[in-house]
Amino acid sequence: MTSWTAFELRFDGISGKGQSCLWQGGWRAQPRGHGEQVQTRRSAILTGAAFCAAPMVAAQTGAPFRFALTPVFLDNDAAVIFALRQALGEAMGREIELVQRRTYQEITGALLDGSVDAAWTCGYPYLQHREKLSLLGVPVWRGAPLYRSYLIVAADDKASNLADLQGGAHAFSDPDSNSGYLVTASDLARTGATPEGFFSRSIFTYGHRNVVRAVAGGLTRSGSVDGYVWEVLDSVEPELTAQTRVVARSEELGFPPFVARSDRMAEDGVTACMAALQGLDQVDKGREVLRLLFLDAVAAAEPALFDGIAARMAALAGG
Amino acid sequence: MIAVPRFRDLPVTVRVPLITAALMIVLAVVASQSVLGALGRVQDARLSETARLHVQGLSVALGPSVLRQDVWEVYDILDRARLASDGQRLLLTVVADERGRVLAATDPRRAPVGHTAAAFETAAVAPEALRMTGDPVLRVTSPLQYQGRTIGAIVTELDVTDLLAERRQVTLWLLAGNALATGLLAFGGWLAVARILRPVGALVQAMDTSGGAPRPIPQAAIPHGDPGLARLIETYNQMTTAVEERAEAERRLADRERFVSLGRLSSSLAHEVNNPLGGLLNAADTIRTYADRPEVVRQSAELMQRGLAHLRDVTRAILDQNRLDRAGQPLRPEDFEDLRLLFEPEAQSRKLALAWEVQAGAAALASQPAAPVRQVTLNLLLNAGAAAAQGGQVGLGVSNGGDRLSIAVSNTGAPMTESDLARLMASGPLPPGGGVGLRLVHDIVAGLGGSLHHDRAEGRTVIRVDLPAAGQTHA
Repeated sequence: MTSWTAFELRFDGISGKGQSCLWQGGWRAQPRGHGEQVQTRRSAILTGAAFCAAPMVAAQTGAPFRFALTPVFLDNDAAVIFALRQALGEAMGREIELVQRRTYQEITGALLDGSVDAAWTCGYPYLQHREKLSLLGVPVWRGAPLYRSYLIVAADDKASNLADLQGGAHAFSDPDSNSGYLVTASDLARTGATPEGFFSRSIFTYGHRNVVRAVAGGLTRSGSVDGYVWEVLDSVEPELTAQTRVVARSEELGFPPFVARSDRMAEDGVTACMAALQGLDQVDKGREVLRLLFLDAVAAAEPALFDGIAARMAALAGG
Repeated sequence: MIAVPRFRDLPVTVRVPLITAALMIVLAVVASQSVLGALGRVQDARLSETARLHVQGLSVALGPSVLRQDVWEVYDILDRARLASDGQRLLLTVVADERGRVLAATDPRRAPVGHTAAAFETAAVAPEALRMTGDPVLRVTSPLQYQGRTIGAIVTELDVTDLLAERRQVTLWLLAGNALATGLLAFGGWLAVARILRPVGALVQAMDTSGGAPRPIPQAAIPHGDPGLARLIETYNQMTTAVEERAEAERRLADRERFVSLGRLSSSLAHEVNNPLGGLLNAADTIRTYADRPEVVRQSAELMQRGLAHLRDVTRAILDQNRLDRAGQPLRPEDFEDLRLLFEPEAQSRKLALAWEVQAGAAALASQPAAPVRQVTLNLLLNAGAAAAQGGQVGLGVSNGGDRLSIAVSNTGAPMTESDLARLMASGPLPPGGGVGLRLVHDIVAGLGGSLHHDRAEGRTVIRVDLPAAGQTHA
């Protein structure tokens, strides 16, 4: 928490204002909605405090349910975080503490050591710790729990495939990201290459939007980015994505899932969380969260959904 | 080609307003320079402060990331800083590591990661030393300090186009405003000074156009508000009256001089008339006494006829000398005979030896007007006669050589005094004392286009008048 706070303060100190983020466009489109939402939430908390004080105390263990998010995928936007905490809190009947970390590694570590109860992470870290983690649900985007990895270059770049990008600088989002690292790294591994050898320089931006910014700004020639994030950006920040061009799209792979430790799946909080996630599309506040995230729903899923990612992991290991 | 008059040749009524206008222009230039200088200092201070804050803020934020050589973090911070400044002023910021290689830049296409940053550090100065140079893009560099050591450098390109434009615009407005103000003030100054100097202009004009006869300035044109100028003009008016009166007096004196010269001859002429009268009365008495002796009567009548003829000649010479209607008549040898007739009695009374030699023929004499030449010659003879002591010599020589007629009058005796020579030879102001006869000679000879020469040798004074032949004179 300390490191994240420091990270936040540092950014605020530099820019002098709240940083822009993935969802800012969506949020700005409906400022009234947010104001009403905050007011509603406050009313709900006050109402809950007045009428349900006794049962709440009995139902809760005293500590809030800790839910981890990563800026690798979800930029820290106040609107999304408020809406998600509100929706989950209402559905689970207890206070939710949303924890943000910079990298997937930190999220996974926190999840495994029990400092968070559940997390929205990526298919790749989930598979890396397959024996210790279980699925709480997978978001449904455009009708399916699937997404792709995009290989992007600057809009005026003539490259038409990965091979054309040899010798240039490349932006990954996170070494534990499927779409932001594994897909490109495994593609290279299949040709016997490594990112370090193939690219002149590869940097990690720890954010899919940052990958788009790095490529758009010319910091790197190419980047590996989450297709879902790129598409959402394309509708909320078209001027940013317009500076980039998608060179290659991967096959459809399992969408980043919500996970919890397998040995805690039977706990009340975790089961309540699973139910709340999978029921987001059933309640108003849940639908608001899904709308802000451009998602349809959160569905139950089987580990087999991530076989494609597993195959790429094998390719990377084999290469 | 129009000749441009030199400044000091311009009239004072033009020069003073011009100097006023020039002083105002100098004042405007100095004021403009001062305003522009102040603006420049304000802009420099503003620019320096902007650069300093920018670099300082970035140093604090960038320290850890630069230490870790985290390209993305450095770029992210620079990019956010750029967005926060709306891309104005800050064109490019480059962060270099301690080896001088680009770690990241706001425009990675211009400053690619890993390339040398030296090219961006040329002409870069420290933020405190930042000054406007006229270049639209200025560079600032500052070492990047973290935990007490230098870990890299920041180079920033600042766009000062707006400041330059502001300065240009201020300069333009200042110039236009000052030019207008100066123009108005200079014009106003011109009007004021020209108004103040108008009496002086009038004075100068009155003196310029007078053509030798100064014209007084009317009382209405005298600026009574300015005592100094009023006194100056009143003094001038008094002077013009005095000059007029003097010129009038000189003219009257010149007219009188002709009679004066005859006056001077009057006693000798009276003798000339009186001498024959005795003979004539004797002859008349003889005729009455010897009326019956025809030969005596005839002899006496002849005597009377000669005496009367002489009287007739003398009176004619006197009349001719004063007749104004002879002005246009040509000179004849008889004129010199008349002069001899007029001057001889004077010479005899002073027992002077007269050397009379008229060599010039009638044709040469005819090219000269009779009246002025007679006047000049008679005046010179009278002066020569007065100068030659009792029993001295006076000579007249008239000769023609080439295209001119020379009349030389000589005398023995004392040489001419300085004041007499000044009267005769110079055209300056008339020295006090003495008559105006010699000056009249000078003026008449000048009027005929001739020249006067004075010579003194072996006790003789010779005054020679050279007159050009007719056609070359005004007559």
